[in-house]
Amino acid sequence: MTDKDRIDDTALEALFDDARATAPQVSDALMARIIAHAEAVQPVQAKARGWRGLIASLGGLPALGGLVTATCVGFWLGVAPPAAVPDLAATVLGVDVAAETEMDGYGLSAYGWDLDEG
Amino acid sequence: MTGSGACQGRPVRLARSVMSQPLSQTEASDEADLLRRYAEGDPPAARLLAARLTPRIFGHAFRVLGNHAEAEDVAQEAMMRLWKAAKDWRSGEARVSTWVYRVTANLCIDRLRKRGAVGLDDIVEPESPEPRPEERLQQNARSDALQAALMRLPDRQRQAVVLRHIDGLANPEIAAILDIGVEAVESLTARGKRALKQALESQRDALGFDDD
Repeated sequence: MTDKDRIDDTALEALFDDARATAPQVSDALMARIIAHAEAVQPVQAKARGWRGLIASLGGLPALGGLVTATCVGFWLGVAPPAAVPDLAATVLGVDVAAETEMDGYGLSAYGWDLDEG
Repeated sequence: MTGSGACQGRPVRLARSVMSQPLSQTEASDEADLLRRYAEGDPPAARLLAARLTPRIFGHAFRVLGNHAEAEDVAQEAMMRLWKAAKDWRSGEARVSTWVYRVTANLCIDRLRKRGAVGLDDIVEPESPEPRPEERLQQNARSDALQAALMRLPDRQRQAVVLRHIDGLANPEIAAILDIGVEAVESLTARGKRALKQALESQRDALGFDDD
């Protein structure tokens, strides 16, 4: 056999090219089995566990930031409401807090006594 | 098509390969990210990772084992081990693809050892998959002849040649997969290529190289 007849590097590279071009195809059944195994052993509890899970359930860090801000503002309004803000409880319940204060001046101590004494 | 006797009885479907290019750093980090997402319970991550890795390791196993059913078993087992390892995976320790390739290579070696020594006379011509155009026939004839020649190589040589010249991996990654030095990889692939050339010389005419 002469050198001309030998398989050279170029010919071998051509064979490797063909092998890459005709790679064995993964069957749908094999892929389905692999996916099924993956789902069977996937650690699902890791999805929402600990603080990260709690934060994720609230909508993530941006949502948590908004929630904290709203809580602080609401608390502060309760402690020190601005003068221009009406008393919500009095408005809703129809109670006149100022009138009740003035009635204290009549010295009424109990409902039954006031009726008896006139 | 030629190869081991185990190739008979089950035609191998052939397709255009998308598995031959080495992984870039971006792809490697994508795989690590997908594995982390899988471990955190993200269902689509498993599908994406399986679609990316399975063709590579199945192709490798088929080239090394020369048997479709065994290659499927190996690919399935390697991916199962990856899913189980995901929970304790430490990023930065190893590339996901390198790790899976290594598991695949070891599973292939295990099967080859169990199979025992196969004499050259036991290597027979497998069936041609299906009728196809003349050009396709020539291409597949070449691919099949290469597969038959690969099956005549010693196991480690065959693994190194497949990883380097068909899977397209770099020598350092092959060294990590086969757990040997880079120089040993170079030696294995060089000797493997020489042996392949000798094995293919008798089929030179059939391979159509006279027209090249």
